[in-house]
Amino acid sequence: MKTLRYFIGRLLIAVTMMVIGALAVFLVMKAAPGDPALAALGEQATPDAIAAFRAEHGLDAPLIEQFVSWLRDMIGGDFGRSLTIAGGESISKLIAGRLPNTIFVGLYAVLFATAISLVIGSVAALRRGKLSDTLATSVAAVGVSMPDFWLGYVLILLFALTLGWLPSYGFTSPFESLSGALVTGLLPALAISAPMAAVFARTLRTSLLENAQRDYVTVARSFGFSERFVFRHYVFRNSIIPYIVIIGLQIRYLLGGVVVVERVFGVPGVGSLMVDAAFARDYPVVQACTIVFLAIVLSVNLTVDVTCAALDPKRTQ
Amino acid sequence: MTGLAITGILLFAILVVAHLMPYSPTEMSFTAVLKPPSWEHIFGTDSFGRDVFTRVLYGARISLLISVCGVALAMSIGTAIGMTAAYFGRLYDLVAMRFMDLLFSFPSFVLALFLMVILGFGVVNVMFAIALVYMPLFARLAHNMTLVVREEPYVQAARATGQPSIRLLLREILPNIAAPLMVQASIGVAFGIIIEAGLSFLGLGVQPPTPSLGVIMADGQEYFRRAPWVLTMSGLAVCFALLGLNLLGDGLRDLVDPRLRQRAE
Repeated sequence: MKTLRYFIGRLLIAVTMMVIGALAVFLVMKAAPGDPALAALGEQATPDAIAAFRAEHGLDAPLIEQFVSWLRDMIGGDFGRSLTIAGGESISKLIAGRLPNTIFVGLYAVLFATAISLVIGSVAALRRGKLSDTLATSVAAVGVSMPDFWLGYVLILLFALTLGWLPSYGFTSPFESLSGALVTGLLPALAISAPMAAVFARTLRTSLLENAQRDYVTVARSFGFSERFVFRHYVFRNSIIPYIVIIGLQIRYLLGGVVVVERVFGVPGVGSLMVDAAFARDYPVVQACTIVFLAIVLSVNLTVDVTCAALDPKRTQ
Repeated sequence: MTGLAITGILLFAILVVAHLMPYSPTEMSFTAVLKPPSWEHIFGTDSFGRDVFTRVLYGARISLLISVCGVALAMSIGTAIGMTAAYFGRLYDLVAMRFMDLLFSFPSFVLALFLMVILGFGVVNVMFAIALVYMPLFARLAHNMTLVVREEPYVQAARATGQPSIRLLLREILPNIAAPLMVQASIGVAFGIIIEAGLSFLGLGVQPPTPSLGVIMADGQEYFRRAPWVLTMSGLAVCFALLGLNLLGDGLRDLVDPRLRQRAE
């Protein structure tokens, strides 16, 4: 019951943030220099054509009316039409076609980062002070210092151009072929995951070391349980919550990495759409992509909050 | 210590070594186009025959300047908002910190990219983008620290003597929350360099011919298959700078944290 109330409370906060965030993006976009009519019709457009465009898109209506109409359409799944890069095509259709690719690469990256960090973080904590701890923390320090797009190119140089094991460019949608998506998405996911894995590993190591010194762990040891049992059932289980929280916090950086890495590897995702739209000054598309990314972050944060509350009910108080 | 050493080497390189180099960052040589790394050109040359190592040193200067200015702006505005919100409380605290939470909910790079579309490209706008991305972090940190320090006896005593609020914030509270803010600033500069490099790499940040690290990497991307050293070596320089700044931040945090934890208890 308490968890349900907590979930409803968090959901309401997320929805409020989403609406206010959408309003902020809408207002800031309205303040951007340049006329969307000119962007769509070109510099040679006649005044009559510009006036007709503005009337058709409601650009002369009061700001609050424009926002309410836009918000209503957005809730109904309509983000409007692209001005320049896709010549009048529905933005919702553009994003819907690309969102699965972005989510696939993002999840793939989180999977790698989690797997790598669980190993490195656990080894570093268990062998604290020894060579393997120093090596693991050094690798983590180097990992967090690498720009993901640069790492992407290094991986291309090594695995694609030199060894020829993996493709250097292009992406197969998971709906077309899951195995194709796993192969073509491997290098982009690895490039994004490395800095994240480093942060996760450091957090897990700190959390494990802190929990290993708690009283209940000493009591468990005094019962005669093996070190492995104590680690798995007492230390690790109680260290997992800050670890999940940091995964949620890192989503902001992951999505930033996805934007650039999609360009590097030619993944047709929401990130590369946003970059193309930025170059083409297609403001409605940039606006829609920003809001979609905000929605992803808020959804992930909500999931993390509820998961942590389910694992540790004290959080709902 | 390692972080301080690496950052020291970096600063020495970009401030002193850059001027000692026999090449200029813009000097072209069409007989030395796309040469691989050698004793003459440590990082090789680019498609205009320019020495990549010299360009990286000058580029690092610009990238570091942009990042430091952006983070300084974020720290000033963010700290002011966080401190005042925690001290005065009530509706102002609620509105200000919820706005910071909203800014924090946008992915960092996406927010920076969005701002570049609104403001246009260029050095100054990249600084503003970095400032907007990091402002919520400083605001939150300053807010949380001020809530702790606000209850200290010396702050209560200063309030009892009738010190004006702004003076109290600047003279009593700010000096006692400065240390963790400096730690965050060091890490912020590192991530600011990544944001600048990413924006400029995409062509949406610093514009050529200004040689920032991102612009040099973008140059290298165009002929990556023929001459991978331009992008690889300039990126390696970025990694070196980031490693130094991150380790410096970690070291400062270790120095500051135990004392802070004692005071919070």
